[in-house]
Amino acid sequence: MLFWDRLIENLPYFLEVLIPAAGMTVRIAAGAFVLAIVVGLILALLQTMKISLVNLIVRTYIEIVRGTPVLAQLFILYFGLTQVGIRFTPIQAAIIGLGFNGGAYLAEVFRSGIESIHRGQMESALTVGMTPIAAMRWVILPQAMTVVVPPTTNYSIALLKDTAVVSAVAAPEIMFKARNLVTETYLSAQIYLLVALMYLCMSLVLSWISRRLERRLAVSSATGDRSATFA
Amino acid sequence: MSDLLAVYQEHFAEWFPQLIEAAGNTLRMTVLAFILAVILGLLLALAKLSPIAPLRWFASGYIEVLRGIPVLAVLFLIYFGLADFGIIFDAFPAAVIGLGLSGAAYMAEIFRAGIESIHRGQMEAALTVGLTPMAAMRWVILPQALRVVLPPLANFGIALLKDTSVASIISAPELMLRARDLASSSFLPLEVFLLAAAIYLVMSLPVAFLTRRLEARFSRGQAHV
Repeated sequence: MLFWDRLIENLPYFLEVLIPAAGMTVRIAAGAFVLAIVVGLILALLQTMKISLVNLIVRTYIEIVRGTPVLAQLFILYFGLTQVGIRFTPIQAAIIGLGFNGGAYLAEVFRSGIESIHRGQMESALTVGMTPIAAMRWVILPQAMTVVVPPTTNYSIALLKDTAVVSAVAAPEIMFKARNLVTETYLSAQIYLLVALMYLCMSLVLSWISRRLERRLAVSSATGDRSATFA
Repeated sequence: MSDLLAVYQEHFAEWFPQLIEAAGNTLRMTVLAFILAVILGLLLALAKLSPIAPLRWFASGYIEVLRGIPVLAVLFLIYFGLADFGIIFDAFPAAVIGLGLSGAAYMAEIFRAGIESIHRGQMEAALTVGLTPMAAMRWVILPQALRVVLPPLANFGIALLKDTSVASIISAPELMLRARDLASSSFLPLEVFLLAAAIYLVMSLPVAFLTRRLEARFSRGQAHV
């Protein structure tokens, strides 16, 4: 069939372009993921301080970011801010946009994780003489980890797919390169099919890693629970 | 800041009606894709729970594949890819179909979790009193599952509303596309995109608040049981 002949004939060229682009997709996703974790953790910790003004600001940030499309946020960052003299490269805009967007989601995940730890843990840590920060670092956060990991890995898979959207600000990742290939060769069906397969492979690998990570954490938390009942 | 206000004073009357009209299309796209996703998602969930193995395999395969692919890639396949085979859609129906097909994979998992959350005894009791499996599903299981499913369903609706903005990339006529047109014709992208973002916010926030109240009520109800 002509469809497959054309695909096979052009496959080496397509892969030559798309595989480095997939590397860029992974790099953007990884950068945004790290940024989202940092932003999310800061926002979650700010909320635990229970200062009403801080809470108001953080809640407003979270509501606005979660209530608007990431594409609109990217356009404001990339096209909008040039008007006030702030210029980002497409890759910077992509990482910052996706990272601050994800930070709002992860803030909720981390907050509920921290809140899921019994208050007595914080109280006893303070009683034995830890500072609030040390108690958070050594007592609360390690326990919150098990609750937080499954939604965080789910987020990482969603993020990987969301990177496709940054092609709209011309970040040179898979989707952007694919669109260039299509204008060059007109083989849109073959190229987009290949692109879909590449994303599928990446998501499947990521979800396999997530499952393994969750299983390992579940095992360690099960043993942790046992020592807790002994105590 | 005063610049921003000055720009809005000058252009608001021109931009706002256009963006609102486009927001109507965004809502229409959201509702149509939502309906498609719910119908397909329910069928997929029933297929995944069915005793017929090939149906189960198909449903699992569909769900895994569609959840692993960005919705933008699905839209491109439908809008540009299918054109090679002579199947040509306008951008709007292509967006509805793509968002619906992709959303169905998520809906299927939500419905399956909802159905499985109903105790098996319910199905057994329904079959014992003489209902057919279909009737038991329709009159006993699904009405109870609806309660469990409603909050994630509403959350999916909000996510879908925001995802329709991606359809602007295949130039489907909706809010984001209109905003991009206005931004490039006025050379004022910051003001236009901020206004567009505000309109999305106004559409999504009420649903988000209602959903959270619903969730709180359901979890209270469950705590009493």
